[in-house]
Amino acid sequence: MLSSVPSENTVIVADLEAGIGTLTRLPDQAVDVTLIVTEPTPRSIDVAKRAALVAAERAQGRVLIVANKVADPEDEARIYEAFPEAEIVIVPADPVINDADRRGVSPIDIDSESPAVRVLSGLSQTIGLFSGETLPG
Amino acid sequence: MKIAVVGKGGSGKTTTSALLARSLGRQGHNVVGLDCDTNPNLGLSLGVGDTETERLLSLRDQIDEGDREHAHTWADILDSYGTDAPDGVRLTVINRIDNPEPG
Repeated sequence: MLSSVPSENTVIVADLEAGIGTLTRLPDQAVDVTLIVTEPTPRSIDVAKRAALVAAERAQGRVLIVANKVADPEDEARIYEAFPEAEIVIVPADPVINDADRRGVSPIDIDSESPAVRVLSGLSQTIGLFSGETLPG
Repeated sequence: MKIAVVGKGGSGKTTTSALLARSLGRQGHNVVGLDCDTNPNLGLSLGVGDTETERLLSLRDQIDEGDREHAHTWADILDSYGTDAPDGVRLTVINRIDNPEPG
């Protein structure tokens, strides 16, 4: 599906199913960027490590580890230890995210300047997409 | 450009997808949020609300159950199975067997 979607002048953000099932079924080079989202917990990191392997093997573009809910230096160290070679984005634990989940709304509509919202919104710059510049293909 | 977002359930995968999409929209990009999750709530995290999120999911269930015909092109999918989210983001729910040709 994803590989057949036209993306000229458009950015497609695909929220895949939980786990690595969809990722393993994608054809090689189906996407330009793979964001691997994890919590600083062993089980979540384990899934993320497997996802990182699959994404690399299948050449699913640039791979970034997005570590959510990082509460302290120990959490952060666990992430860097698990992915020594990877490009990592650390997202601080933020009550605005939990609040949005409870209320069924977008965190950006509660507080666009809260710590996690700022970092996650900044992913567009990390990926290299700047204002008004949508890469073709 | 195509961006895939993966991770264990509960990792913040959907929140990450939604905030990336909304911020890209705010910067003036054309953005499509594709909800491919079997337990989908990208709509909520994008801010389209409960009612609209449920409506899209019920459309997808109808396709899965064979009560509604598949969209044949990508444009049809965006049109029939999509909704407008804030900041100009177009949200679309995808079922596993949809496989349209580009067009």
